[in-house]
Amino acid sequence: MIPSGTRTRGLNISSYNYLGFAQTRGGCADAVEACINRYGVSACGTRLEGGSLDLHTQAEALVARFVGQEDSMLCSMGFATNSTVIPALVGKGSLVISDELNHASIRFGVRLSGANVRTYKHNNMKALENLLREVISQGQPKTHRPWKKILLIVEGLFSMEGTMANLPVIMELKKKYKFYLFIDEAHSIGALGPHGRGVADYFGINPRSIDILMGTFTKSFGAAGGYISGSRALVDRLRLSAHTGTYTESMSPPVVMQVIASMASIMGISPTLSSSAVTPRAEDTIDMEPFPGKAPMAILPSWMPLSPTMVDGSDGSMRLRRIAFNSRYLNRGLRKLGFITYGCDDSPVVPLLLFNPGKMAVFSRMMRTRQVPIIVVVVAYPATPLVTSRVRFCVSAAHTKEDIDMLLTACDELGDLLDLKQGQGDRWPLKEIIDRAVELVNAPGDA
Amino acid sequence: MSTTVSSLEPLFTLVAQSYETLETTFYKIPGSAVIARYVKSSHRDDPGRTLLEVILIIFAIRTLLQSRTKAEASGKHFIDFSEKEIDELVDEWTPEPLTKHLDEVERVDLDSVPLIVGPSGPKPKLANGKSVLNLASYNFSGLQGNQAIKERCVDILRRYGLGSCGPPGFYGTQDIQLQLEQDIADFLGTEGSILYSQAFSTIPSVIPAFCKRGDIIVADRGVNFAIQKGLQISRCTVRWYDHNDMQSLQHVLESVEKERIKKNWPLTRRFIVTEGIFDHDGAMSDLPKLVELKLKYKYRLILDESVSFGSVGRTGRGLTELYNVPASQVDMLIGSVANGLSATGGFCAGSHIVVKHQRINGTSFVFSAAMPPMMTVAASEGINILRETPSILTTLQENVRAVRTILDKVDCITIPSHPASAVIHINVRPASPPPAQLLSPTPQSPALPASPMSPLSPSSAKLSNPTSVFPRHPEHFDMEQEERFLQDIVDDALAQGVLITRAKRLRGQELIEARPSIRLAVSAAMSKKDCEKAANVIKASCVKVLGKRR
Repeated sequence: MIPSGTRTRGLNISSYNYLGFAQTRGGCADAVEACINRYGVSACGTRLEGGSLDLHTQAEALVARFVGQEDSMLCSMGFATNSTVIPALVGKGSLVISDELNHASIRFGVRLSGANVRTYKHNNMKALENLLREVISQGQPKTHRPWKKILLIVEGLFSMEGTMANLPVIMELKKKYKFYLFIDEAHSIGALGPHGRGVADYFGINPRSIDILMGTFTKSFGAAGGYISGSRALVDRLRLSAHTGTYTESMSPPVVMQVIASMASIMGISPTLSSSAVTPRAEDTIDMEPFPGKAPMAILPSWMPLSPTMVDGSDGSMRLRRIAFNSRYLNRGLRKLGFITYGCDDSPVVPLLLFNPGKMAVFSRMMRTRQVPIIVVVVAYPATPLVTSRVRFCVSAAHTKEDIDMLLTACDELGDLLDLKQGQGDRWPLKEIIDRAVELVNAPGDA
Repeated sequence: MSTTVSSLEPLFTLVAQSYETLETTFYKIPGSAVIARYVKSSHRDDPGRTLLEVILIIFAIRTLLQSRTKAEASGKHFIDFSEKEIDELVDEWTPEPLTKHLDEVERVDLDSVPLIVGPSGPKPKLANGKSVLNLASYNFSGLQGNQAIKERCVDILRRYGLGSCGPPGFYGTQDIQLQLEQDIADFLGTEGSILYSQAFSTIPSVIPAFCKRGDIIVADRGVNFAIQKGLQISRCTVRWYDHNDMQSLQHVLESVEKERIKKNWPLTRRFIVTEGIFDHDGAMSDLPKLVELKLKYKYRLILDESVSFGSVGRTGRGLTELYNVPASQVDMLIGSVANGLSATGGFCAGSHIVVKHQRINGTSFVFSAAMPPMMTVAASEGINILRETPSILTTLQENVRAVRTILDKVDCITIPSHPASAVIHINVRPASPPPAQLLSPTPQSPALPASPMSPLSPSSAKLSNPTSVFPRHPEHFDMEQEERFLQDIVDDALAQGVLITRAKRLRGQELIEARPSIRLAVSAAMSKKDCEKAANVIKASCVKVLGKRR
């Protein structure tokens, strides 16, 4: 990679910036600047060896509230959140059941843990149930001893497919088969659900009925790192026994601040009655407000600059509305043009199927060399099966309708040129899609 | 007789009819006549061949139908249950709790973790409002809180935002990240370098990127946890040599070569994996000797400088600068941007080939978000400061000497760390000689050479088994008791206004249990007077706590 030294402005439709919080201006950036001036850039050490700051505990309390769990723990890298925590949850004699399309970090963590792994066909609930019946009745290989525990790991939103975990069915299976559930919400947290609280919010399921919710801050919050959340007992155990607390550097203060500010933006801030709590512990915040609630002022740093749109939550709700519109508009627009896409309509990840690997490079280059270049990500084997090469769009709340219109126009042209419009169902001409966008988005059903 | 024939007649006609329909439909398929002709003539020429081909076709169909994932289920251990039995088994099965609750000791352990309120630095404020002298945090060069760095960061925040919003391969790469990679490479004198967004995740990703199943790794017995995880993931053949013992290393390298010839192994990639300054005890590797051995036996060297980068050498370049060994002699040099430059992340420096290979094969590089641009700029600025002000490292070394001068004289503790190491480990010296059956023939000092200059340990006369991670003469210590003493020292020092910490380890997960220790991290940001003051407090605490036993 050698920079050419030239600059070209293009339309970025591939970064994981779902809520558009990767900004250089605005309330979050102001808060981060205040934080740099106050804290510097490093926390100097691991969480258990003198690298714990008050900011970390404040962020952990806020994250727990945001996702609706009792407590949470931060990790300075998204990949490491899975790879360093899973070994503390399962080990020899335990079984991990994993969706076949789970992220590499999950596989890395499971391999480190030494637990047995079985996979099932992507999102196929029948296959999952059959597998559960088989593994519980058969027990451990050879010895037939019962499994110590079974942990099901799924992603909330699969980043290559745009599909969501079928949570309602999984919850029913969980009741019947008594496995523990670990949901990786790397892509869904912030981007899905009426309140941006991820898949549990989307399906209207109580988050506390899920054992472990994991997510990252890289995507929707425009920061870095990840979190793991669950019951207080679980998180306390992980603080001591996961590799994270003992060996990895703690999250850097400006990054933590970005997390706090962007989360508070989405939640809105509720003024508190007692301002006596100087260093709040997570205990104080539990069961005060129903989920999904606002961020209480008391758990935010007292010196944090607050903008009015952050306090009343209007900034966050505007972003949530925009991403919901953009996701549906692009998904349905592409399908009405005759393209084959994967995933559900509300997914901000939109994979458009190219099938032929030879078309990938052409598609990418023709997008890039347009008058207004469009930057896309093309994905092929081994990340996808050989015959389903695809281009993956990631929409953001920061995109305007004009941006999506431009993308649809470009896709329309290239689709004719590369013979990509192989989808079934009724088609609309491009102009009609652009003009009747609102109607298209508001149409009922997963059309 | 005739009745049976007549009753079977409709069956015969059915068979004949269905055969006819099959035949006609078969001939309707284009090209089917060619196949039929081929089969007929081949059957006429060689009837045995028809049988063979039929068997082959059946075998091919069977292979195709067989599910790859179901191998386990159809194995000989599979028990066929009825649906009802499965339901019963499902009802009966009760899983263990997901995690164990913390016991009393662990609860105390977690609650005793110090919480810093406000910025970290040489004199941070704790939750109780007290300011303390900080010998716990990694801030060797004192870059944390540097005003120039803060200003650069704010500038970058206003131009780039905070997050990188994607993995490096998916438009997460920004120009200033490449700039830091170049800066690190120039600073160390390698062709290139690659950034990982967390220091701990760097080496567990670098090792499996190069070392595959069947390759040979010769590693030190005292390597840190991250390396252990890397070795585990790589699935290599690992041979161990005694901790920081070059003679043992040479012996192991020779024995591997002998084994290869004897067992007629194919020539594979071979690596030596060790640390610059060891995270477990602060001992320092003899880099010139390592390089000499790796060249002699044709190995590649993976050196983890997570502790030494930014803390030794004239300007903090690490071991290569200290020993004046060109960094290009180390094939993969891993360092910590988090510890060494007070930012976040880690790097691997090496040749262009080494770096390029990791851009698609370094798991945690490919699958994780790129480092936030602000952090890379903080690190770049840190390198500039280190280059321009060599006095930082001089101050650091003076501080280390000041602390060591005081602590080396304390009788009740031992310090396995190298005199120049900014990370100082304090072990409890056993109060009375351990019972005879526990006493190893050469206790303590030779197993942990204090300096690479010291003559190689005589203990290797009786050699350890290279295939086992456990040495022939393991150290014996009472872990719980020592940890309790050390924690008392930590608590006592904190009461006197000095923040120190035990070296935290995941007990039961490390390959060899490291001896419990207190880990000090000396910083250049502290004045010499403060260092002496802190060291005297620690000394007093050690004497107070350890003097009380028996």
